[in-house]
Amino acid sequence: MIGRGRTFLRLAALQASWTYERMQGVGISFAMEPLLEPLAADSDRARAARARSAQYFNAHPFLAGAAVGALARAELDAEPGERILRLRIALSGPLGALGDQLFWAGILPAAMGLAMIGVTQGYGLGIIAVVVLGYNLLRIAVTAWGLRVGLSHGLRVAHAISESWLPGAAPRAGNVAAVLIGVAVPLVASWLLRGSGQPVRATVLVVAGAVALGALTLRRPLSAPGLTVGGAALTLLLRWSTA
Amino acid sequence: MTEFPLMALLIWGTVVGLDLASMLQGLFSRPLVAGAVAGIILNDPMAGLRIGVTLELFALDVLPVGASRYPDYGAATVAAVAAGAGESWTAALGPSVLLGLLLAHLGGWTIVLHRRVTAWALARAEHKLDRGEPGVASRVHLLGLTSDLVRSAALAALGLAAAALLDYAPRLDVGTERALAIVVVAGGFVAVIGGALRRAGTLRRMVWLAGGMALGALGLGLS
Repeated sequence: MIGRGRTFLRLAALQASWTYERMQGVGISFAMEPLLEPLAADSDRARAARARSAQYFNAHPFLAGAAVGALARAELDAEPGERILRLRIALSGPLGALGDQLFWAGILPAAMGLAMIGVTQGYGLGIIAVVVLGYNLLRIAVTAWGLRVGLSHGLRVAHAISESWLPGAAPRAGNVAAVLIGVAVPLVASWLLRGSGQPVRATVLVVAGAVALGALTLRRPLSAPGLTVGGAALTLLLRWSTA
Repeated sequence: MTEFPLMALLIWGTVVGLDLASMLQGLFSRPLVAGAVAGIILNDPMAGLRIGVTLELFALDVLPVGASRYPDYGAATVAAVAAGAGESWTAALGPSVLLGLLLAHLGGWTIVLHRRVTAWALARAEHKLDRGEPGVASRVHLLGLTSDLVRSAALAALGLAAAALLDYAPRLDVGTERALAIVVVAGGFVAVIGGALRRAGTLRRMVWLAGGMALGALGLGLS
């Protein structure tokens, strides 16, 4: 279906018109437009569907295809407008939470952890290319899957997603990310510090100090970039005052 | 820096800026990836990897969730690598990463500006949008995309100008350069470990993290 292909491409730029007022609403409308083309013969229905499609919505961008597919299917099946708006609100939270857990807290840090480990082991640009390719293939596959599930299940999409691989994969991805980031920490510390001629003691001290400070941020979040810029300013001041 | 890498870096900085949120989100805006490609453009891939890895430690603390204001590390990393390429990397690491951190936070403010532009366009089109007029959502969306394109290009240009200006800064002595390198690397580890612990949430996930660190340390010992 040509409309589905165009919607799939438009989903790649879903968040370009993100605003605090409607969040991804306008992006969802932009992505849904090709799927709503069969309604063009009935201008009143098409207008009502377009107006609904641009209302407030927010979810994880990689899973938003499921919402776009389901909402378009509901519009094409002439479901009542109120039910469609209720579906929109009902999908927003779960698709956001699942996607954030799966991608932002799981697959993305896992991918970057793996890339950093590879770089420290001398696989440099090759491992980065593999990770970027793998991540994008997965991202494309998940978006395509979401769109397909949404279009085939319509108003029952929430049930279809809850029965799918998705809810089980999210926590596992987080565990994998934790392990890979853990493995990367000492390897990267050694690569950056020992590689520059710093003694082993400096590497151990930096990692131990960072673990202690990082643990402190559990109770009271602190800005690591702010801390770093402040530390650098203090270092320069101390060096210049003793020069 | 010759003309070719400057244009190539400007284009790459713009691409990674768009990748952050508006288009694809396919890891191109991650410091490690943005830095590696910038390093290739500048014929110093190792500088790209070192600076990219260090800024990646900071970026891993950030969850790019819609409504939050988050730093833009992509174009900032491109500029940081431009500042550090061709130098002894121990000398360049501290100043380059500091430049990257400042630019990344400036980038966070540019995202707020870009969202205000989109909100302005949305407010003007709101009635038409709510009446379901054809083509209105597409126009607002494309304006948002254009706004982010301009934002990304401007941030990349500003970053590259700042990197060029850094060449004129007085040279630091070796001791200060080494101390700055330790400070930025330590800051990066505070970010990545703090972020990993907060994301872990449960004791069980923290055990996974600690297990990974033990495994990494073991690997170091064996190598």
